[in-house]
Amino acid sequence: MKRLEARHWTFLGLFVVVTITMLLNIKLEMKVSPYTQDMYTYIESLPEGSVLIISFDHEASSLPEIRPIALAVLRHAFKKGHKLIGVSLLAEGTLIGYRLMRQTADELDLEYGRDYAYLGFRPQYIAAILAMGESIQQTYPRDYLGAPYEQFELLNTVENYNDVAAVISIADGSLTTHWIEYGQARYGVKVLGAVTAAMVTTYDPYLASGQMYAMMGGLRGAAEYEKLIERDGGGARGMLAQSSAHLYVILLVVLGNIVYFVSRKQGGGS
Amino acid sequence: MVGVLMGRRLPLAVCFVFGLVMFLQYFSEHPVAINLNQTILDYWQIVFAFTLIVGIFTYFKNNVTQISRGSDRPFRLVGLAGFVSMPLLALIWGIKADTPFMWMFENVQAPMQSTVFALLAFFVASASFRGFRARSLPAAVLLLSALLMLLSRSNIGGFFSEGLPEIANWIRDYPSMAARRAILIGIGLGSLTTSLRVIIGIERTWLGGDK
Repeated sequence: MKRLEARHWTFLGLFVVVTITMLLNIKLEMKVSPYTQDMYTYIESLPEGSVLIISFDHEASSLPEIRPIALAVLRHAFKKGHKLIGVSLLAEGTLIGYRLMRQTADELDLEYGRDYAYLGFRPQYIAAILAMGESIQQTYPRDYLGAPYEQFELLNTVENYNDVAAVISIADGSLTTHWIEYGQARYGVKVLGAVTAAMVTTYDPYLASGQMYAMMGGLRGAAEYEKLIERDGGGARGMLAQSSAHLYVILLVVLGNIVYFVSRKQGGGS
Repeated sequence: MVGVLMGRRLPLAVCFVFGLVMFLQYFSEHPVAINLNQTILDYWQIVFAFTLIVGIFTYFKNNVTQISRGSDRPFRLVGLAGFVSMPLLALIWGIKADTPFMWMFENVQAPMQSTVFALLAFFVASASFRGFRARSLPAAVLLLSALLMLLSRSNIGGFFSEGLPEIANWIRDYPSMAARRAILIGIGLGSLTTSLRVIIGIERTWLGGDK
């Protein structure tokens, strides 16, 4: 049998750390960051019945991180009585968005077409964002399941971004940038981001300049949001595993550097 | 003569006219400009949809060719099976919540993609042990910043010190933001100049050369 190398032990260590902490299901206390608080406050401050576009701009690969983020935001918006219109700029996000909207709407017995609608995917995201600024109906003549746009009470009240309070882009990549560069810059629609942790620093300049109104990020953002809406979810559940994995990586970095400096002192280099 | 016209001058003229029109209409609220914009955006989406069709056929053709040559046959067969079965499931049973299409997406495609993405965590763990070394002062600063950010994104940062998340936020709000802004402004200026060069015909590489 082949002997295990250092990298195999690091893989095994990570697997053990994440599995054990996931099984423990311990909820850690945490402080809500000002970024997540701003996002919550904005949705909370909107008058009941405000229309929000939720854009599912992500792929299936980031679902474990995106799902708690999306669920927290959707639950809050639905609970506040806002009307949600779901769209997607990535084909894979379409199915996930439809499922998540249905799930959260069903929890509150909301009616499709009156309280929410799902329009689905349009190819070429820049063209889709710009076209919706002129006419959402012309961009989406039919909803995700093929019913005519004008059939739904909610959609009849919405012509373009002028009738929408904000766009919330749930993203695992740079697609929120296009909402900012085309939706916000051209048509003045407010853009909020609910993004994966890896993308947070990408959007910091837009947030600081005010081009992006608010942003929550990563599993931590989801956990903070769950705390604000007082409802447990995947964010809080996953935080212990994520925190332990982070601690494990820090430990490996420190250990790697000790090995490096010791071997350098002994004249062995790295 | 016709070849030169169709091959170079006509595309350049079309590019110039559309570039100029799209630039000017951005500043206009006139109904004609709005209608023109909407029409062009519709066509843009239609053209993009056709490029998807090209992609689909290319994928199918390439895989069939490689299978016939015996290259990576099992993997390509699985790929083609998914490629054919998903549209079939959607066409036969629809795409609503409780259909076989949705079941396949939620129970096969999404977990597989998440699994592949999750493998990154293992590579990060291995790389953090073997590659993330403080070989110089800049590397040490980078290393320290990364560790602080890692701590702040979990909820163990506050356990060591209440000030740790504050320091991490400072790194995010100042040095990291400054670097990001510089990159974004650079990209913006680069895009602007490249667009201008393409519209006025100086940049012609998109035609397949600079002749």
